[in-house]
Amino acid sequence: MKKLVSLLLAMACMLSLVACGGKGAKQITSLDDLEGAKIGVQLGTTGDIYATDDYGDENIERYNKGAEAVQALKQGKIDAVIIDNEPAKAFVAENEGLKILETAYTEEQYAHAFKQGGELKEQFNKAIKELKEDGTFDAIVAYYIEGKGEAYKSPEGIEYKGKLVMATNAEFPPYEYYENEVIVGIDVDLARAIGDKLGYEIEIADMAFDSIIPAVKAGKADFAAAGLTITEDRLKEVDFADSYYTGVQVVIVNK
Amino acid sequence: MQAFIQDFLDDFQRNFIQDNRWKYIVDGLKTTLVVTFLALILGVALGFLVAIIRATYDKTKKLKILNFICNIYITVIRGTPVVVQLLIIMYVIFASVNIEKVVVAVLAFGLNSGAYVAEIVRSGIMAVDDGQFEAGRSLGFNYVQTMVYIIMPQAFKNILPALGNEFIVLLKETSVAGYVALQDLTKGGDIIRSRTYSYMPLIATALIYLAMVMGFSKLLGLLERRLRNSER
Repeated sequence: MKKLVSLLLAMACMLSLVACGGKGAKQITSLDDLEGAKIGVQLGTTGDIYATDDYGDENIERYNKGAEAVQALKQGKIDAVIIDNEPAKAFVAENEGLKILETAYTEEQYAHAFKQGGELKEQFNKAIKELKEDGTFDAIVAYYIEGKGEAYKSPEGIEYKGKLVMATNAEFPPYEYYENEVIVGIDVDLARAIGDKLGYEIEIADMAFDSIIPAVKAGKADFAAAGLTITEDRLKEVDFADSYYTGVQVVIVNK
Repeated sequence: MQAFIQDFLDDFQRNFIQDNRWKYIVDGLKTTLVVTFLALILGVALGFLVAIIRATYDKTKKLKILNFICNIYITVIRGTPVVVQLLIIMYVIFASVNIEKVVVAVLAFGLNSGAYVAEIVRSGIMAVDDGQFEAGRSLGFNYVQTMVYIIMPQAFKNILPALGNEFIVLLKETSVAGYVALQDLTKGGDIIRSRTYSYMPLIATALIYLAMVMGFSKLLGLLERRLRNSER
């Protein structure tokens, strides 16, 4: 009994030693400092893919959610987080002591993804073009990014001929996120606007980011709208509509 | 048929050979094994300790305070999901220290497993007939000696299948370690999947878990058979 207790105490002591042995967080002031730093990303995002290429697999910490990467950064468990500009702004606004590096990491094109060979892609292209021309798209962006105007509302009296399932990962403000238990955001409103044009009701399927493309491929969802960037590898798996928005990847660091 | 095989080989090449992607699986497997092994040791040590305290209280009404603490431990651990415990250890308990993720995982899974092992061991101790205990005491053994030489060996044999079950659950439960960005086997497969969007890494991961559990069950079966040798 005493032996066991002393053993356990010894273990606790060792663990506390290990706990204090962590090295101090590295201060990042420019993109050059990222070399050798611990970088947090969300699994399967373009930030993950590019950073793995640029800074080496062993320096990348892949979280299931962007918010968890940011939390780890705040606690000094990692040195920087690479994530899209708009969610980054939302995270920095919520968390004192974080800032976004002035130089962006990279630029990218967001687009809707579809199962290969479907007809939906052309219909989406046409609808997006119309929505951009009549100002609906700009109004949606203005509402979610600048807080001006109102969220998109479907015109009254629409008869839907069916529904489309939209795969997304609702942890990506302001593109898609939960507000009062409803998923809202640029991608959601844009999808509804497109749906209204095509005569489809939109049903949202919230899933892990790395499940989105497999879900579309397997036909579990009709399309994906999740701040999804067009990349060569993804083009081998799914079709992309024309890009509707240019996203920027930025680096969040501790002040 | 030939086209199917060609597709399969292409997929295999893309998922595992290209860019040395198999390394994610191998490194993940290593992490899973390390976490499982250390958590197992922690869980068993903790489990036996708690079980002995609880059984002693049940039999002799001593160690009242320790028994109370153990009860709280078991209630809390069994009453909350392991993922939540893992996240709490990572982001609440070790919020201000930069701790190795493996240590967090070992602590979370070890503490979790300990609670279940404790109840398994206690059931084994309580299942040994009271007459055995009385016989030990009347032969002049004190309480600890009776426990160590008479009760525990019999209890251990009784609980081995249930204990094996718990180890298997523990091994598979470590698959949620990815929540704290630890690259275990499941996360390794997920990383490949996030690059190739293929079903293959999932199947590979499942097969590796299955193989590990089968191997472990085999070993356990051997041990059980050996321990039964004394039964006649």
